[in-house]
Amino acid sequence: MTTYNPFTLVGRNFLITGAASGIGRATSIVLSKLGAKLILCDLNESGLEITLNECGDGHIMLPIDLANSSSIKLKVNDAISKFGKLHGFVHLAGRSYIAPLKSVSEEKCKELFAINTYAALELAKVFTNRNVYIGEKGSIVFVSSVYGVVGSAANVAYAMSKSALHGITKSLAIELAGKGIRVNCVAPGFVKTNMLDTASGMFDANYAETLNKLHPLGIGEPEDVAYAIAYLLSDAAKWVTGSIMNIDGGFTAQ
Amino acid sequence: MEIEIFKAEMAELLEVDSVELTDELSSFECWDSLTILSIIALAGEKYNVTLSAAEINKSHTVGGLKELIKLKMS
Repeated sequence: MTTYNPFTLVGRNFLITGAASGIGRATSIVLSKLGAKLILCDLNESGLEITLNECGDGHIMLPIDLANSSSIKLKVNDAISKFGKLHGFVHLAGRSYIAPLKSVSEEKCKELFAINTYAALELAKVFTNRNVYIGEKGSIVFVSSVYGVVGSAANVAYAMSKSALHGITKSLAIELAGKGIRVNCVAPGFVKTNMLDTASGMFDANYAETLNKLHPLGIGEPEDVAYAIAYLLSDAAKWVTGSIMNIDGGFTAQ
Repeated sequence: MEIEIFKAEMAELLEVDSVELTDELSSFECWDSLTILSIIALAGEKYNVTLSAAEINKSHTVGGLKELIKLKMS
């Protein structure tokens, strides 16, 4: 008798970006525990090795610079030839950019946009090719931010890069439905990661307390976001596409 | 670090025509948490240095801030 589990990812192959740390590492581990096989992508090779070890056998590493969009197709296709075709991908890689309007730079905006936003589109373009997509039960999950949903001072460029993912999610959900590919987005609140520690140093001593107050359920754990991603990749979400799921401890409920 | 360029960058962020190294940071009308964040962004982008809000507040003057950035660059 097989165990009833609509959330299983056994027999599913996914590519995941940002896998070397934080939410990306936690998601990779959760997906692997649910049975998925993964292509783990990141620029940080040593971080990828740690994630790979924690995920166990059957996964591969793909060191990649997502800012270089022209290399994505080549590298992913090369990985597919060794790994096999994919059921979907998760775009978790992203950079933060805390800068008030008067210090926003065009160059930094372009860098941010390349990784946070355009890489998502390029990955979708590469994935939907019949040489990469396995042809059924397709699922794409983008990861944006509460700051793609609500406003915050000194975050205008970051918000631009993340809210654009919401438009991409909805447009592609319509465009790719015919191919059996669902497209969704998770918008996380603040979770305990190194990225958060770095950002916290920029603010005053009360920042941690202020941040906690923004989340009625407190600051999240990386796994809180990982579970939502796992759900969206699984057949339990087979009627879900074009959705933006707020996983934020109540941040945007206020 | 070119002092005149740094002073011009600070004048731009502090929304005044010019600054002197002896000027107290907190004396500028637009001195607030967003200006501090702008200085952090400037230091990272132009001088490849990571500053915290606490360090900037402790530097007190434009000259103190210049010294802080120089120290971190070395």
